[in-house]
This record gives sequence, C-alpha cells and structure tokens, in this order.
Amino acid sequence: MLVAVGATPVALGLAGILFIFTALSYAEGTAMFPEAGGSASFARHGFNDLMGFVAGWALMFSYIVTIAISAYTIPSYLGLFWEPLKTSPLAHTSVSIGIVLLLMVVNVIGVRESSQVNVGLAILDIATQLLIVVLALAILFHPGVFWQRVIGYWPSTANLVFGIAIAAIAFTGVETLSQMAEETRRPQVRAPRAYMLLIVVVLLIFGGISISAFSAMTPVELASDWATDPVAGIAHNVSMAIVPDELAARIFHEPIQHYIATWFIDVLRTALPVLVAVLAGTILFIATNAGLLGISRLAFSLGRFNLVPVVLGKVHPRFKTPYVAIVVFTLAAILLQIPGFFRPGLFESLGGLYAFGSMLSFALAHLSILALRWKMPKMERPFKLGWNVRFRGAEFPLTAVIGLLGTIAIWIVVVAMQEYSRWVGFGWMALGLGIYFLFRWRRQLPLGGVAR
Amino acid sequence: MKLERMLVAVNGKDADVETVKLACNLAKRSKAKVYVLYVIEVKRSLPLDAMIDSEVEKAEKALTRAEEIAAELDYEVETDLIQAREVGPAIVGEAMERDVDLILMGFAYKKRFGVFNLGRVIPYVLEEAPCRVLLYREPIS
Repeated sequence: MLVAVGATPVALGLAGILFIFTALSYAEGTAMFPEAGGSASFARHGFNDLMGFVAGWALMFSYIVTIAISAYTIPSYLGLFWEPLKTSPLAHTSVSIGIVLLLMVVNVIGVRESSQVNVGLAILDIATQLLIVVLALAILFHPGVFWQRVIGYWPSTANLVFGIAIAAIAFTGVETLSQMAEETRRPQVRAPRAYMLLIVVVLLIFGGISISAFSAMTPVELASDWATDPVAGIAHNVSMAIVPDELAARIFHEPIQHYIATWFIDVLRTALPVLVAVLAGTILFIATNAGLLGISRLAFSLGRFNLVPVVLGKVHPRFKTPYVAIVVFTLAAILLQIPGFFRPGLFESLGGLYAFGSMLSFALAHLSILALRWKMPKMERPFKLGWNVRFRGAEFPLTAVIGLLGTIAIWIVVVAMQEYSRWVGFGWMALGLGIYFLFRWRRQLPLGGVAR
Repeated sequence: MKLERMLVAVNGKDADVETVKLACNLAKRSKAKVYVLYVIEVKRSLPLDAMIDSEVEKAEKALTRAEEIAAELDYEVETDLIQAREVGPAIVGEAMERDVDLILMGFAYKKRFGVFNLGRVIPYVLEEAPCRVLLYREPIS
C-alpha cells in the first residue's frame, strides 16, 4: 500500500496470479523431490550445484528478510497498548531486535513449540480477518467510493510493478511448505493439496483485506498512519463505523433480541482492535520463528550437499541444534533492522530486499521445472502440471513459462528502481558466490558441476 | 496373554537392560517377535533426516547392547533406528505399523519439583497406544 497506493488491490491480484503459478511449479517440484531445499533442491536437480547454490543463497536472503520484517512489524501492532512502540524509532527497533534475539536463544536451546497452539492461532487469525472483511463489506463498502479511491490514487507503472513485488511477501508460505514436505506422509499427494489450499486461503484473505482497507480509509491514510499495521487500521475504522444499535436493528426486531444483539456488537466493537493487535503480534512472532527454523534447515540441507561451508550445519553438543546457522542468520537479520533506528522508511526497504531474494529464487524454481521437463521428460511426476506447450518433443507448462517471465520482470524492476535493494541484494549474492567458490576450491569439488 | 509381536523402546539409559531382559523372557513363552526401537528426536531447526553423528553413535551403542542382552538369554531381537520430531508419536506409529501386541518401556525414578514425574513420552504412549503397554520402573535407589 505504501508503494502501490490506489492500485493495491490490483497489485495483490496480479501478485496472486503469479503466486498461483509459482505454487503450481513448487507443487510439481516438491512432489518429485520431497526433500528440504525448495527451489535450491529443484535447481540442483535441474541444473547443477552452482545453480542450486544461487537459488539457495537467494532463498536464504528472503528468509533473513522475512525474519527482520516480521519482527519489525510486531511492535507496530502492539503500539495499541503502548504508543511509543509505534511512534518511537528507538522503542520500535529495540523491541523488534529484542524479539529476534529472544527467538535466537529459544531456537539454540531448542525449546519445543506446540503445533496445536500454532494451528489454533492460525485458525483464530484467519477467522478474525474474515470477520473484519465481512463487517467492512457490510458496513463500509460502497462501490463508487472504492472505485474512486482506486482511480484517484493510481501509482506510476514502475511503482505498480514494485508493489506487485512487495505483495509477494504475502505468499512466503510457498517455500515453507516445500521445506515441510519431507516430514509428511505421502508428500506426493499431500503437498499439492496443501498448495491448493494455500492458494485459496491467501487469495481470499488478502483480496478481502485489500477491498476492506479501501472501504475503511483512503490509500494515503493507510500508507501513512497505518503503513506498518494496516489490519489494525482497518479494524480501528470498522470499529469506529459500527453503531451497535443500528446494526442490531437491521437484523433483530424483537426488543429482547435487539437488546442482547446491541450489547454483543458493542463488546465486539471494543474487542476487535485489541483482538487484532494480540493476534497479529502472536502470528508475526510465529512467522519470525518460522523464518528462523526455515533458514537453519535450509543451511543444514545446503551443507549436506556441499553447497555451503559445513560449519553452518554444526550441531550443538548438548542442545542438538544447528546453533552456528541460527546465530549467524539471526545477526544478519538484526543487521537489516538496525537502520530502523535512523530511517523511518525501513519497512519499504525491507520489502524491496525481500522482493530481490524471493523473485530470484522463484524464477529459478520455474526455470528448474522447465529444465527438468527437458532433461528428464520420463521421470515420474506424481503431480504434473497441465496446460503444456510442446517443443522439440518435450512438454513445458505454460504456468511455469509465464511465472518465469513474470518473476524475472519484477526482479529487474526492483533492481532498477530500488537502490538500497540493488546494493544490498547484489552484495549478498557476491558474498555468497565468494564463499561458495572458496569453499568448493578448498575441498577440491567441481565449481559448476555436481559434487558426488 | 498371547503375544506375537512386541516393541521395546530403548533410549540408552540403564533401564534398557532390565526392559530388554523382561521382553525376551515374556517373548520366549509364545515365541513372539521382539523389535527393539531407538528414536532419535530431531529438533525443528534441523531437517528430519539430518544425521547427528553423536546421536547415531549413542543409538547404535544402545541397540548393540540390546542385541547382546538378548543373545545372553538365547533370544534374537530385531533392532531399528528411526528419526522423528517427537519420540512418543514415533513409538506409537511404529507399534501400529508393525501391529504389535505389546509395547515395553523402561524408565528411571525421577522427580520434578519434588513430584514424581513420568516425563513426556510415557504419558503419550499410555494414552495413544492401541495395544497393551508395560512399564518397567527402576528402583528408587
């Protein structure tokens, strides 16, 4: 919304289409190779170790940024309870760094997390967001106003494309699912099903939220007062617009029913912003932790295939956790958050960084699926994409072709428009390639080929 | 109690010795098959198939010891090593897959905050196992 402004629903919609294509490529790849690694695994099988490393290193970058951006957003939501968390860069950034450090310690020790709690919170969060969408559509939505806000605040084409790139943050689950595939029974069946469910839920929620946002306030208000906690902004405005007596009267006409309904709606109106703040804080906390778990697993997997120094896969003798990877990548995430002490636009910068890593990683995933169709056409594909184009005897899925072109185009726009993302992103890749070549040369492993 | 297959869960602790002996003596009566299982618990920050050398070494030592104890009693056992996120569900899962009649587990007497404690794994197995469960507790001393 900061970047796409009036075109936010369009940006989310186009990002959603790209996301569907990416999820489909991941579904085919994960069903073929149900192992941790995601796009790095696809690239290693489709091309060679070097491409596997590039995809993996770009993916690591997205994970680090996910950790930073998720933790950075938590204080904004908790600002409902103590305002400086939202308004003071010192308080905001200190708390977000503190959250990341806490999770580092928790994961080095290996504190057990309850999957039941995680699932319960996710369901509650989805239900709350759906409730906000329903209320916003019922009370605030007006097609004329909505359309006027879209047209009146339409961004430049470059900002629209960048907005699509940032909207990709909504779809981080694509990689996480792939990492989890090796742990499920019958991944060839369950992984594609999970991807389909992910597509439906994410599009429904984010489509609904963006329409609700534009019904609740202008894009400028959203991009300024509520830039880092938009759902809180929507909940706040929906709550302000609810008149309990009037709303109850629309549904219940009996005096007793009307009285009870009025009381209930009043409680809901008061509770909604608090519920959003608490849920958003906890879900983002879980997302930060998921990012940390994802990157430590990925680092271990890449180390197993000699794509990164083995020290990153070193396991703590007492806690049995990959403590080196956890500490190194936590510190990298904190490094990205430090500018938050000095610059207010950190959220947008982090979004650009995420787009750099994720678009590169997703593009390589699409490319690897196409390469595997060419190199290994007869390989078993438990989930094979349809809508194929035949070329020289091989079948290439159109969704992967369009996905590849789309992700590359967005990546190019991000690199061209975002100076900060360009320098940090290329700097990260250069660092990684330096480490890779040095590590492979020292171990006398092929630089571009496959290490056996 | 007619037993055809039983599963002994070991963890490399002292209680394994008596648990395996008990399993072999019970199995002899009906010539039941004995599976000795060691579950390596892998933290979520690692891939499930991550090889942790120290843990694998510990597991192999425990399973070899179980085989030796069984050999002393002139009985043969089949050992298996698996990796899982949590030990309890892994034991129950293996028991169901092998369709065992009995799960045997041994544990040391432990207190937590002054109260006798069974840990996490045993209560889970007691609650979820579809078959009989026999527990062996070490003496307090």
